[in-house]
Amino acid sequence: MRIFTVTLAVILLALAALSLAPTLMPYADTAHAVLPKAIAGFALLLFLALLAERPKAARARTAAEAVNLAAASPTAKRADAEVVNFLAILQEKGRLVDFLMDDITGYSDAQVGAAGRVLHEGCRAVLLEHFGIRPMREEGEGSKVTVPPGYAPDDYRLVGRISGEAPFTGTLVHHGWKTEWVKLPRLIRKSDDRPPAVAPAEVELG
Amino acid sequence: MDHRFSLGIDLGTSNSAIAFSEVESDQTEILEIIQILGPNRVGEKPTLPSALYIPHPEEFSEGAFPLPWRTAEVGDPIIGHFARDHGALVPDRLLTSAKSWLSNPHIDPRQRLLPWESEIREEKRSAFDCSRLYLEHIRESFLYAIRSRGKDIALSDVEVVLTVPASFDDIARNLTAEAAVVAGLGKVVLLEEPLAAFYAWTAEAGKDWRAQVRRGDIVLVCDIGGGTADFSLIAISEKDGALDLNRISVGEHILLGGDNMDLALAYALRAKLEAEGKSIGETQFLALTHAAGRAKESMFADDAIAEFPIAVPSRGSSLLARTVSTKLDRQTLDGVILEGFFAKTAVTDLPHKARRAGLQEFGLPYASDPVISKHLARFLTRSLENVQASETLRSLVGAEARSKPFLAPTAVLFNGGVFKAAPIRRRVLDLLTAWNEGQPVRELAGYQPDLAVAKGASIYGRIRVTGKGIRIKAGASRSYYIGLETSMPAVPGFTPPLKALCVVPQGMEEGSEVLIEGRDLALVTGQPAEFRFFSSEVRSGDTPGQIIPDAERELLEISLLEVDLAAVEDIPAGQPVPVQINAVVTELGTLELWMKHTKSDRRWKVEFQVRTE
Repeated sequence: MRIFTVTLAVILLALAALSLAPTLMPYADTAHAVLPKAIAGFALLLFLALLAERPKAARARTAAEAVNLAAASPTAKRADAEVVNFLAILQEKGRLVDFLMDDITGYSDAQVGAAGRVLHEGCRAVLLEHFGIRPMREEGEGSKVTVPPGYAPDDYRLVGRISGEAPFTGTLVHHGWKTEWVKLPRLIRKSDDRPPAVAPAEVELG
Repeated sequence: MDHRFSLGIDLGTSNSAIAFSEVESDQTEILEIIQILGPNRVGEKPTLPSALYIPHPEEFSEGAFPLPWRTAEVGDPIIGHFARDHGALVPDRLLTSAKSWLSNPHIDPRQRLLPWESEIREEKRSAFDCSRLYLEHIRESFLYAIRSRGKDIALSDVEVVLTVPASFDDIARNLTAEAAVVAGLGKVVLLEEPLAAFYAWTAEAGKDWRAQVRRGDIVLVCDIGGGTADFSLIAISEKDGALDLNRISVGEHILLGGDNMDLALAYALRAKLEAEGKSIGETQFLALTHAAGRAKESMFADDAIAEFPIAVPSRGSSLLARTVSTKLDRQTLDGVILEGFFAKTAVTDLPHKARRAGLQEFGLPYASDPVISKHLARFLTRSLENVQASETLRSLVGAEARSKPFLAPTAVLFNGGVFKAAPIRRRVLDLLTAWNEGQPVRELAGYQPDLAVAKGASIYGRIRVTGKGIRIKAGASRSYYIGLETSMPAVPGFTPPLKALCVVPQGMEEGSEVLIEGRDLALVTGQPAEFRFFSSEVRSGDTPGQIIPDAERELLEISLLEVDLAAVEDIPAGQPVPVQINAVVTELGTLELWMKHTKSDRRWKVEFQVRTE
């Protein structure tokens, strides 16, 4: 179990190092977009592993481990801060959090529709500004498509009867989405002790 | 050494942009500008809103607005998108339209007076300061972008072309050039915005642009941005078998643009909402204005849309309960925009002037007549007056175009976001055709909705360095005059008219100078002398040394000139020194006036002082 925890911490460190390097390049870098998620994922795993290990670790914690943890935790907070920052943009431009936190049951469809327009217009603008969104397959849904040999399994979800080898032929149910570039605004903060605000409280002074 | 790169800067009234190219290539690239998008948030956008926000010291946390090239101090002004959007809610701290303040003859652009009529306790800014800060930001962002590509280009290797409105007089032009020097851009070349748009068009149209214009054409460059309208005329003629392009007329500074249109639509929509018993607050009105602008763009882009739904979000968090919705229908859109701003008026119908009330609120001289058609009519009427005044211009234009009570353009090049809407372009063409007694006026194909001015500036930089490509002859857009006190016996109740001496003729070329001979003035050493300074954009026929009998009636007073002759060794203090006026238009397009000693090569520079009343 210790080995598992240490391995996780090492992977997390490597990812953190990687995520620091691309900031020197223009940030339209796909890898850079995936990194925060990966870091967050590994940080979560590490946290769970630590929880499982806690009774023993409390007694026999080594100095080396303490250093690793100290280095990893700000990076995880950093990744969280980046995600909260993006959520803040969706709230600011498209009122996403307002929309989701409201209880929708009591409102008429017309009211939901009006709010939906605000949400759609704002969030769509954010999406198009920060991601180069394109369908994974350009063909119309319902048409026959071929999944070529050597396809990237992440890009396809095959359903129904799967047998034999690629190429596979079938009906396109959902054309999928991919992003060709990511251009997120940089979050620059002195400290990540607290996550950034999702939306500041607004106070009008008279 | 010749520059290897060319940087075009469009320092706009509402938005700025930059374009970059290598002089030996024909590719021009828009460089996005790094800017603050929110507290702790930095990103790149193609344009930098020309907005500056002065934060309260406790408003944001320390270091909330860093940029890659500087650390943030509390209270540092914020420039760009966030400044504009946040400042709209805190207008007391927002500074916009600095460029229009720079050319405002009523306030000193170097005095820290902006935001105008604001009561903030933090230090205010001057219009000059503001332009300098925008240019500094642009310079830093440019250098950062180049460095982050792994290139290292020194500014000394870059030809920097900065655009100014054609309506800027030389005082505003000189101030802009000086702001660029202080901002660390070095000596920049100035270029009129409509000309930049024309250069961008020639590059876009490629080789066949010459097929689109012909001898005898008068091209109207019609540039309407967010806050200003700027007109120019270019005459196409032939000289030694090659096309010869001359900018023959420029318009006045008109504070009227796309923002006025969005605002007008928002007022119409608000009236409709109020009639339905729904009310909206100030912040929501801002959102309504933005939404109306987007609706306008969508509906003008697609004739099939009969009405466009608009939802104005609530201010509080209850989006579902408080969102107000309405619709913009085509009748309202056409009525407000096409009939309101681009009405089919007669060419004799000129904008009405605001009556000067006894107590007038100082501020920006916004156009009091919103009908752009009338401003266009005034411009074309004055252009004819200008062309008729000079033999040279008459020969460039030909009799046909001068046969009407206005100068009739044969083709139009559109520029500015307003003309993204094809129906508006069509309306302007219809209007000109109607004025032209049915003879059709063409649109030069290849309108570029965005960033043409920045691109054109960069292209012009290349042309200047390499000497390849056609140049539009422009020269001084106005003629300039110095007031001379008339020596007449004093009569009670009668002020003798002020005579004026023409010192710079219209069209005076870059890199040339004139010495006004036969009109010696006497200056006294050891004490500063002041002269009144005038200009006109419709007196192309005046020549250097010519006397205008009544300056106050014929000309526009723009400034006060000041010259200070320090005591000189060989001339005793208090003794009059005979001088002649020496006017220089530099290679870079700025105007300098000197007082030259008649008997030696010594000369003293004349400083422009802005008239404050």
